[in-house]
Amino acid sequence: MTPETNPALVANPTVEVSEVSKWFGQKVAVSGVNCSFGPGLTGLLGPNGAGKTTLLRMLTGLTLPSQGDVLVKGERPRSQIDRYRDIGFVPEESALYNTLTGKQYVTYAAQLSGVAAPGQAADNALETVGLTADADRPVGGFSKGMRQRAKVAAALVHQPEILVLDEPLNGTDPVQRAHLIALFRDLANRGNTVIVSSHVLQEVERMTDRVIAIVDGKLAAAGDISAIRRAMSDIPYRVAIECDKPRHLGAALIDHDAVFSVTIDRKALHVETSDLSMLGTSIAGLAQRLDTRLSRFAPEDESLESVFRYLVERR
Amino acid sequence: MTAFTAITRVTIRQTLRVRRFIGLGLLSLSVAGTYLLTSLGQRRGGGDPDTAFDIFLGMTIGTFMNIIVPVVTLIIATAVLGEERRDNTMSFLVLRPVRRTTIAAAKVTAAFLEAFALTGMGAIGFGIVASIRMETWEYFVPLLVGTAVATAAYAAVFVPLGYLLKRATLIGLTYLFIWENGIAGAVPAVAGISPWRIGVSAAAGLAPDRFFEELPDFAVGSLTPGAGGATAKAIVLMMLSTAAVTWILFKRDLAT
Repeated sequence: MTPETNPALVANPTVEVSEVSKWFGQKVAVSGVNCSFGPGLTGLLGPNGAGKTTLLRMLTGLTLPSQGDVLVKGERPRSQIDRYRDIGFVPEESALYNTLTGKQYVTYAAQLSGVAAPGQAADNALETVGLTADADRPVGGFSKGMRQRAKVAAALVHQPEILVLDEPLNGTDPVQRAHLIALFRDLANRGNTVIVSSHVLQEVERMTDRVIAIVDGKLAAAGDISAIRRAMSDIPYRVAIECDKPRHLGAALIDHDAVFSVTIDRKALHVETSDLSMLGTSIAGLAQRLDTRLSRFAPEDESLESVFRYLVERR
Repeated sequence: MTAFTAITRVTIRQTLRVRRFIGLGLLSLSVAGTYLLTSLGQRRGGGDPDTAFDIFLGMTIGTFMNIIVPVVTLIIATAVLGEERRDNTMSFLVLRPVRRTTIAAAKVTAAFLEAFALTGMGAIGFGIVASIRMETWEYFVPLLVGTAVATAAYAAVFVPLGYLLKRATLIGLTYLFIWENGIAGAVPAVAGISPWRIGVSAAAGLAPDRFFEELPDFAVGSLTPGAGGATAKAIVLMMLSTAAVTWILFKRDLAT
């Protein structure tokens, strides 16, 4: 497979994931994932528990694959530790030395990364993430958003070519989120490979056009985010409608062009539709014609998880 | 600052918390207090330097080297890698261009320095009180050296344990009970790999002959007194421990 025929692959990869699987006892966390990452920003998208964190840990060498291979600039990072000069990693979990101040924490990262002037590099990294004012406070007292930014600073301090970020926006407020997204985009525009995982589609949409979606440990979709959006538009939406004449309305909805199926229970109609907005605009007129009073019209299943699951099932 | 120094320093800051330092410091110094109380009791009963020596010997091998030093070292040494795992900082440490051997050596060194800061404090307190009571300072330096050697050897054993086992302290205590106080006492031939006995042999090598002559057999096993040999054994154990931790950092899943 080539990048031309497989959207999960890129032409000039810095990180290559070849048929990688990882299992923990009986549990398969990642199964036969084949993809690559190159300069620019790639969103690794998937619901919680999809295997994103395990995949990112394998990219960095923190976890070894049970099967397959991960190469960073052509080498396995765990056996070629110099590759870590090129990698910055922001883990999902806390990963902070609570007794150190922000400055000490990032300076420690710089020292371990072999930076020539660690103190100066730490100052620059803290300024980049907007933590200069809190640099002398212990990180143990930081808010969740500040902790995230401290981790980003520690990952950036040695100016790595490849930045791997596992849910970096968790716990950040909207202002911090916008700042970090701008930072990641800027790094990507400068030619760095930036891989950001998230379970929030809108979050990833704000960052990048290229997405790799993973569900149940498998590659569910890859490529341009608009293509994934299009794929998602095929999913039948489920809508609950409550009214005083459910049988009448149900019978009328069966003939509606955008409706796949209708089921009725005691309380409501459950409608599967291909076009939520079309149904929404026509339901009021239909109700008026049938002289029925609508008391509720609500999508039943909008979760990203169901969207992803659908993508996997239709593969 | 080199990566080795930076890791050693941060490890000590990460694991040496105020409450832990005070608690273990008091535990370490408790032997000096116990000796002082016993000594005062002896004085009222007409105790003399010979009796004071007997108490010193008994408490050195029975309480200090056998309980205080291993327990303090166990708690500190299992924490140096265990707390990296608990605090999820392992990724911060290992995803850097630092040799695994350097990380391992720094961890073992930090465990020794930190544990010896506490056991050494206990040895100094105990040594001062005992020397005054025995009316001789000839045993002060041997006690301190023996403590350093035993601490180093115990640290070497407990550092890998701290990463491999979630209940490392419990397993470590079981090891002390079964190995140090059971098997290694009953089988003199294995005394060479018993940190307690390595420490005692180091002290015996520097102390006046009387110390070794009056040692019970189980306290030193087949070892001959000698600070040099004991120190060499402790260094070898620390090197083996470094190798074991290096191997763990290469082979184990470091995310768990």
